Amino acid sequence: MEFALDAEQRAWLEEVRAFLAEHVTPELRAELAEHDLELPGGEVAAFRRRIGEKGWFGLSWPVEYGGLGLGPVHQHLLMSEFEYWGVPGPDLTVTSVAPMLMRHGTERNKQEFLPPIARGEMICAVGYSEPGAGTDLASLRTRAVLDGDAETGAWVINGSKIWNSGAQRSTHEWLCVRTDPEAPRHKGISVIIVPIDHPGVTVRPLIAWSGYRTNEVFFDDVRVPATNLVGEANHGWRYITGALDLERGALTNAGDLRRAVDDLLRLARSPREDGVVPADDPQVRRDLARLDADVEAATLMGYEAASMLAEGIIPSVEVSVEKIFTSELRQRIAVAALDVLGPEGLLAHNSAGAPLAGRFERLYRAAPLLRFGAGANEVLRDVIAQRGHAMPSYGR
Amino acid sequence: MRLVPTEEERDLAAMLRQLFADHCPVAVVRGLREPGADRFPKRLWDELTRAGVLELPFAERHDGAGGGLVEVGVLAREAGRALCPSIVLGTLGLGLAVDALGDDALRDRLLPGVGRGETRGVAAVASPWDAGDLAPTLSATTEGAGWRVSGVVRYVVDADLADLVLATALTPEGRTVGVLLRPGDTGRVEQLRTSAGDRYARLHVDATIPAADVLPDLDPEAVRRVALTLRALACVELVGVTEAILDRTVEYVRGREQFGRPIASFQAAQHLVADIHIGLQAARLTALSAAYRLGRGEVATRETAIAVLHTAEAARRASLDAHQLHGGMGYVLETDLHLWSERARELGVLGGGPDQATRWLEREVVDAPA
Repeated sequence: MEFALDAEQRAWLEEVRAFLAEHVTPELRAELAEHDLELPGGEVAAFRRRIGEKGWFGLSWPVEYGGLGLGPVHQHLLMSEFEYWGVPGPDLTVTSVAPMLMRHGTERNKQEFLPPIARGEMICAVGYSEPGAGTDLASLRTRAVLDGDAETGAWVINGSKIWNSGAQRSTHEWLCVRTDPEAPRHKGISVIIVPIDHPGVTVRPLIAWSGYRTNEVFFDDVRVPATNLVGEANHGWRYITGALDLERGALTNAGDLRRAVDDLLRLARSPREDGVVPADDPQVRRDLARLDADVEAATLMGYEAASMLAEGIIPSVEVSVEKIFTSELRQRIAVAALDVLGPEGLLAHNSAGAPLAGRFERLYRAAPLLRFGAGANEVLRDVIAQRGHAMPSYGR
Repeated sequence: MRLVPTEEERDLAAMLRQLFADHCPVAVVRGLREPGADRFPKRLWDELTRAGVLELPFAERHDGAGGGLVEVGVLAREAGRALCPSIVLGTLGLGLAVDALGDDALRDRLLPGVGRGETRGVAAVASPWDAGDLAPTLSATTEGAGWRVSGVVRYVVDADLADLVLATALTPEGRTVGVLLRPGDTGRVEQLRTSAGDRYARLHVDATIPAADVLPDLDPEAVRRVALTLRALACVELVGVTEAILDRTVEYVRGREQFGRPIASFQAAQHLVADIHIGLQAARLTALSAAYRLGRGEVATRETAIAVLHTAEAARRASLDAHQLHGGMGYVLETDLHLWSERARELGVLGGGPDQATRWLEREVVDAPA
């Protein structure tokens, strides 16, 4: 085992940091603070183009698919660093959708979709959950029926998806549909790629407590070419559970947690408005030390998962652990910040006088998401027990 | 960065696991605890010596195998799983301390004997309450050709089995020297009782020690690194203990039926197991990371503190929840779970537990400049 970065990994990290130092401008920060990712054609879009020019959207893809062939450790280091800087990096389209296309897609799927993903031109929203199918994803009901044959025909899609984050700025849906309603519930599921501007697709915004926009998306007799089916019909469950493992691995690095604890340490060492220096308080000191220890563990969990992926092992139990650990840690950091900041920590995000522009005020509202999202932690605890220790399923 | 074991590490672990399975079954562990029994595991010791376990980390010129702290970690973890009697890792710790703090003459004199299993012992270079506290509790003054050493060394593990105890002493000039004590010859050994037998002792030292058994002018940083190395290896051992607790518990709940179904099928039981697993993953990674960094020559106070926090907490949770999942079937003495629970408790305390480690970490992290 090697716990230190080797020379090549250090050089890569330096390259990523140099890129961020050059391109994370005050203008980009200002736009992110005010508009998050939502301003079309602005600084965020320009930043994405620069990432695309570096080839970093496809950095871990094989060279034959237009990638840089750099592997999961490089990807993890990059993602962690982008998270530490608080700027958008490669998203689920490149870290989760594209690898599934490479692994399970037809030749035509790969030729049609991978190049635009690599250029940053094709962005997918991930359409899994439905109003009646959340954590229990296999009960999904959105239907797709093939009209015609598998070459020249069309899929006709009806139904709706919820928690469809980013749909408003995506070009496509990576859509999970039921194609065989007679089959057992895990067997009749397929994945179809749907251009989001197709007639019959309606996007309705849902604004979360954190201020984060997600969406409900409706599909009303939407027709897409039969060849937009990913891989084979009725094999979708296997594809999406694989994608979810990669998604968890990609979603969960400790970069933002490291940043949050570093920021909280800095705030705690300075006097508050009441003159108190929180870091002088014995309990606050203990809490902060504890958070540092937990962030270190989370960081190592990320390194371990990336190392396993680099060895060709899908770390499904490990990323479940990592996802639970990081999401619960995020809440502990947000709660600790309440005590460190007192009433100043209640001043709204982006409001005048809020410490660090209210970053911890918002973190408290943002933290619940990753605990229930991307697989509720309770279900992932079942996964650890059942997949990790062969404890029997109780009928999920 | 590559956080998967190499093939060599996997092979070494497999070899050691088999070795302990063959020669350190629970019956051996239990036998050493019987009232009046010889506390020295003679047959196991001979097998481990034959396999070269005790020479693992020492250089070839001292008849060692030239392994690093990562390899010693592999050994500590497997030893923890099997509840290997503490004199084994204690003696290795003595060897590591001599290797780090002694001069060539002392290494040449002691390390081959440690490696061959002829010299047993333990290093006691830091406070048993706080591995970061290196203030000696012995004093030493030169006397003729030797040194007069007096004071008390507290909570020495396996002093009754040790030929040598390496402790530190303060000179009148305020320098720290190392002293090799011979329990029995260098003063009274006051045995202290634990629930696992008379394992600890207070050494009441009042003796003249030949100059050859004194390590003059120790570098404080080197002593700190030794103290943290021993603390970190105990963390790695504790990971092995915790892994064994988890494995035993899963096996039990999968086999035990109540209400017509295995208790492993209840979500409440699954979530206890999952939480043990999560704590263990944090414990394993942080303990191995600390050992790795110390093995590269870093002082690694922060990493060791983090390892203590995670390993002790994971072990406490695992062993206490294991008792909950076993119920009475893990509580009576004729079942074995309590053997692991006692080791888990001990390894999370000696040298400082989570509370102490948090104080190290406060100094490293909270007081550090922004």
